[in-house]
Amino acid sequence: MTGSNDYAIVVERLTKRYGDLHAVNDVSFTVRKGEVFAFVGPNGAGKTTTVEIIDTIRTPTSGRVSVLGMDVTKRKRDIVPRIGVLPQGFNSFDRITVSESIQYYSNLFGRKNTDVDGLMDLTNLQDKRDVQFKKLSGGLKERLGIAIALVNDPEVVFLDEPTTGLDPHARRAVWDVLLGLKSRGKTVFLTTHYMEEAELLADTVAIISKGKIVAIGSPEELIERNANYMCLTLKSADANALETIRKLSFEPVEDNHHNIKVRVQHTDDVQKILSAIKNAGISLPGMDVRKPNLEEVFLSLTGEQLREGAPMHGAPQ
Amino acid sequence: MTPRIIAANLKVKLRSFSREKSTVFFTIAFPVILVLVFGAIFTKPEHMNFDLCVQDLDQSASSAQLVKSVAVDGVFRTISVPSDGSAVQYAKEHKLNLLLVIPHGFEEMEARRVLKRDRDASVVLTYVYDPSSTSVTTKLQFLNSIVAATNQRMSGTAPFITMLEQSILNKKYRFIEFFVPGIIAMAVMTSSLSGALTMNAELRQKGILRKLATTPITRIDWLLSNILYQLVLAFISTTSILLVSYAVFAVRLQINLWLAVYIVLAVFVFVGIGMMLTPIAKDGESAAAAANAFLFPMMFLSGTFFPVEMMPGFLQKFARILPLYYVNEGLRASMIFSNNMAAVRCAAITGGIAAVVFAAGALITRWDSVA
Repeated sequence: MTGSNDYAIVVERLTKRYGDLHAVNDVSFTVRKGEVFAFVGPNGAGKTTTVEIIDTIRTPTSGRVSVLGMDVTKRKRDIVPRIGVLPQGFNSFDRITVSESIQYYSNLFGRKNTDVDGLMDLTNLQDKRDVQFKKLSGGLKERLGIAIALVNDPEVVFLDEPTTGLDPHARRAVWDVLLGLKSRGKTVFLTTHYMEEAELLADTVAIISKGKIVAIGSPEELIERNANYMCLTLKSADANALETIRKLSFEPVEDNHHNIKVRVQHTDDVQKILSAIKNAGISLPGMDVRKPNLEEVFLSLTGEQLREGAPMHGAPQ
Repeated sequence: MTPRIIAANLKVKLRSFSREKSTVFFTIAFPVILVLVFGAIFTKPEHMNFDLCVQDLDQSASSAQLVKSVAVDGVFRTISVPSDGSAVQYAKEHKLNLLLVIPHGFEEMEARRVLKRDRDASVVLTYVYDPSSTSVTTKLQFLNSIVAATNQRMSGTAPFITMLEQSILNKKYRFIEFFVPGIIAMAVMTSSLSGALTMNAELRQKGILRKLATTPITRIDWLLSNILYQLVLAFISTTSILLVSYAVFAVRLQINLWLAVYIVLAVFVFVGIGMMLTPIAKDGESAAAAANAFLFPMMFLSGTFFPVEMMPGFLQKFARILPLYYVNEGLRASMIFSNNMAAVRCAAITGGIAAVVFAAGALITRWDSVA
């Protein structure tokens, strides 16, 4: 059984309205101490509004939010020293170097012995210590933002879309940093619209769409609960294969690369399809079968794509 | 209020300032350049000289003497033009804005007047001029005074009215001494108003204010560190202006406590106005536009570059509602005229404005949270 002291964050019936627009609509969830909690949804779903209410920047229209047992609307001054925040699209003073920026934020928190070198080691910024902020790449800026979010050795770290806009290499470098935080036992509240990020890093994932939470649980639970099927992909298959599969009462889809994707419930279904293709004399250069991922779970739950260019229903990652 | 946080903020702002060349230029070099340029133009009128083209149709010793006397006090450098063509045509062709024509018979008429005491003997000097030229009026004023002095000399009698100068000041002050306090006030205004406005707009646009809102810094810490930063810049800028003014133009200005008082008050006034304008400036560019909309009218209508008395009556009344006017007046009262009463009066008015706009700006500035 989980006691109230085990929660780093408790959100109860949180609503935030802008005029008639419900940016966040009656949202409730909890975040356990020491877990990585991923808040996932497309742009405009209400992720940033929610996180900014929790990290004390915005005020809620209604509902109750507590961090480390303290109400965010009443005890901002007590909460702030115990949390670290990487805001979305982190920016700092253009002409200030990496090490000076970390020292500056450390001074704001009154930390006399901040391990600036240690934070630069953690975020792999040692060789950039004397580089001014404006000369850093997007990935390095985000890593500096994470280092700065940790200057006060916070108990809860909020990271709002830390990898948005980064190339795959830079994104992976940020993931390494986040895995480092997880191993240090920090509670991490991560917002992202990359499902693979949530799947890789998070203990719990909450999926938000249009201001409401549509599903919450571990990545495995969400997949198990919401996508109880397998994806069969037939690579570069002959167009005649589509008709053959349809005759077996499946609903195949062909993608832009002439791959045919089919949802199946059992391994017997896979065998049935492969046999039919073989019997029809259709060549098959390759195939794979896998469990669906969170991206597909999101799609099946909301009917929306997480972001432009996200893989279509049933597509492999 | 946390001194540690204020010091950290001040340090980061000063570091940013020292590394941003354009900011350093506009804060320190620009006012200094203004002092140098305007000082060079206006402080030494005795060195003012104009070219004056002269067509001498008489070609006599007397006319040559007149040309020499026109040039004698150094205002004009005379240039002879050919005497065999039309003066108007010559002026048009050579784009001259003023051409003085000495007529035939000049020497003869002078002889009749001086030697034969013929009171009817007179000559008419013609000047051909371009009325669209701005410098012609000044040239004609000098020319008329030279002609009047010559007529007076030739009359052979002592002038009835003469003038004696008596200054109400211990010493005569020059344009540069009027100008320097104005430039100090202008530099403090520009740096404080646009600094507060553009810095806040940029920090907000970039999301830095949002990040700061998740740290222990408070609104008071933020405002005080901004004020301290602007004060440091104002004192650096004022010191540079004064050093250059003393070194290059040997100005004679009173440097006393009033200077510090006015700088502090001006910083509060203009940082306050900058903060009041911040909500309408969504980004750095609109902030610069909003700042300029306030800076330029104040700069030109508050007596920074020339005395307010030179402006039309309604603009003089308008000047009296501008805070920069009282900073200018107060600085001049203390630095030039040593008039403590006027300095107190202007300081009281500036202080009142400072209290109102700074309080309003501080209330309006929502830096620590978003909607």
